[in-house]
Amino acid sequence: MIRFILADLRRLWLGGAVVILLVALATALGVAVTLQERSLRLGSARAADKFDLVVGAAGSETQLILSSIFLQPAPLPLVDGSVLTKLAADPRVSWAAPVGFGDSFSGYPIIGTTTSLIKGTTTGFSEGKMFALEGEAVLGAAVDLSVGAEIKPMHGTAETGGHTHAGAAYKVVGKLQPTGTPWDRAILVPIQAVWHVHNLGHEHGQDEHGHEAGEHHDGDGHSHDHENEEGHEGDAHAEGEANHQEPAAQSASHAAPEQHAPKYPFALGAASSKHVEEEHHGSIDPDAPIIETFGSSTPGLPAILVKPKTIADAYRLRQEYRSGSTLGVFPGEVLTSLYAALGDAKMVLSAVAAGSQGLVAAALVLVTVIHVGQRRRQIGALRAFGAPRTSVFLIVWLELFLLVALGVGIGFLLGFAAAHVGSQMFTAKSGVILPVGFTREDLRLALILLGFAGGLAAVPALLAYRQSPAQALRA
Amino acid sequence: MLPLKIENLAVTFPGLAAPVLAIDHLEIAAGSHVALTGGSGSGKSTLINIIAGLERIRTGNVFWGEQNLAELSEGRRDQWRAANVGLVMQDFHLFPGLSALDNILLPARLSRVANNDLVKRAHMLFETVGLKRPEQNVETMSRGEMQRVAIARALLRKPGVIIADEPTASLDLESGDAVGDLLLAIAADSGSTLIVASHDLRLVERLERRLLLKSGRIIGDVPAGEIAA
Repeated sequence: MIRFILADLRRLWLGGAVVILLVALATALGVAVTLQERSLRLGSARAADKFDLVVGAAGSETQLILSSIFLQPAPLPLVDGSVLTKLAADPRVSWAAPVGFGDSFSGYPIIGTTTSLIKGTTTGFSEGKMFALEGEAVLGAAVDLSVGAEIKPMHGTAETGGHTHAGAAYKVVGKLQPTGTPWDRAILVPIQAVWHVHNLGHEHGQDEHGHEAGEHHDGDGHSHDHENEEGHEGDAHAEGEANHQEPAAQSASHAAPEQHAPKYPFALGAASSKHVEEEHHGSIDPDAPIIETFGSSTPGLPAILVKPKTIADAYRLRQEYRSGSTLGVFPGEVLTSLYAALGDAKMVLSAVAAGSQGLVAAALVLVTVIHVGQRRRQIGALRAFGAPRTSVFLIVWLELFLLVALGVGIGFLLGFAAAHVGSQMFTAKSGVILPVGFTREDLRLALILLGFAGGLAAVPALLAYRQSPAQALRA
Repeated sequence: MLPLKIENLAVTFPGLAAPVLAIDHLEIAAGSHVALTGGSGSGKSTLINIIAGLERIRTGNVFWGEQNLAELSEGRRDQWRAANVGLVMQDFHLFPGLSALDNILLPARLSRVANNDLVKRAHMLFETVGLKRPEQNVETMSRGEMQRVAIARALLRKPGVIIADEPTASLDLESGDAVGDLLLAIAADSGSTLIVASHDLRLVERLERRLLLKSGRIIGDVPAGEIAA
């Protein structure tokens, strides 16, 4: 029987191939949607896994997570530097690290942070060592540079009209092992270097900064006027400070030496535009040792990543830092709400996929019913020569079922490949590794599809079964 | 080998007042060679279908030996036919894409009765019908060769009855004669009852009994030689 079916399929290979293709594409669509959505969930959850608690200035939780964990460039309101000081000293905190964004090199974001964050979120170095001096940098695993390379930070990104910081350069001293997070694409430098490049947190500015801390929201307008006169970066500023009452206040770039930049998309670890007036040329001292105790002079920060000691501590800290000017967020809870939106999108796409599968199924029924009609004589002859009805049923059923099953199989592979390619593209862009894989749920989908195919194939098979051989031969 | 006895058979089709076939009594002796003749619409094909067990019998009885086909369900009729009737048809009904040998074995395989003996018999029959290459694809054969394959297929399970429906109608004169020879020789060898529906006078003449049908009734039943060709 199998031989007969195979001979038959060989003869009708073109039609069979089209059936397989149709089924495969319809299946692949559904499978790709499912796999991609799942890998997005898993990948983003894993990326956020290492970061227990993020503290930022009051504002959008989603934006805070996207910027600090997924390193998506966006202006963030700044949280006062004293928050970091307080967190670092908190006994419930195992470590708290500032992150400062804003610069990039060759398309890789340069993130200012601390050794404790690197130690706490990575599995170690694949080569080289941790930065120890202000002018040293550590590469994420996905950064295509080698140890020893020199990095000239560019403010913003090339696409958004950034410019290179004059006189500032880092030397790469180490490369981290992959973590599967967007941080793999980051160039990590000491936070103090970022501050210094942008003329923040310098010793000579500290007193003034501290002094101004209480009132710098008032002084902002004046600063702008000054800057406008100087023609340096007036339009680059949204709001040059973190306003305690208005979380929407944003700070853009401050240190724009000489050149005029149209728009800085990044938030910076800047507290006050006052610094710009004091000094325009930021530079780092490459040989200065890094200091990771953050005193009262710590500039404002876009985000602080906190590792609480226990889960209970995490909840307490989140609660504490959710009032007033700060916002404590568990990345997981933000992701959950994002997943809800993702789920809606997936539902729409799944419905589209299911619709296309339904259409293909209907088309297949049509085609096979016509096909069986055309082969009435052959089927009648099979019966006449003594093939039992059950054999005739099985032949027609198996033939179609084989085609559809093959289509479903290929569809799963195609869907998997598509999701894989999609994930890889996503990984290349964001650094988030999206694990594409099948689960039990997919097995269920496959079984449902195959069961459906079985039912579908039964329609023409039943037609063939019910045909009277005498009538069929007469036709 | 099997004798045929038909009693009070009437075949009607819905919408038609007169029965397409009405045979009160007909007996065919075991091992005899009978020709069925008659124009189109005479009920010839219907009679073939009835005695081959392809059509359900609503009125009357058709006995092959002890077996009354009228009592069998459709599935049982299929089974009985597979075991007892060798069918040869005008259009061969060989299945493309399969070799000649596979075609001979196909019905037996689909009935799950093909064993080694039957495969051996298929090879033997292949030679009996005068063919050489069992692995040849049937599509590449001439029509005469195809009908030989069909005859070998009909004989595979040593049927008690060989029923041929216009076996030579789609063949040229020469092939037709050869196929006629083959059918007669094989039926004589095996002792099978042979029933041939045909327009082919050359073939009909060689059969020992001829039944003439018209409008669903047997209007002539003569031994060979009594009807002028």
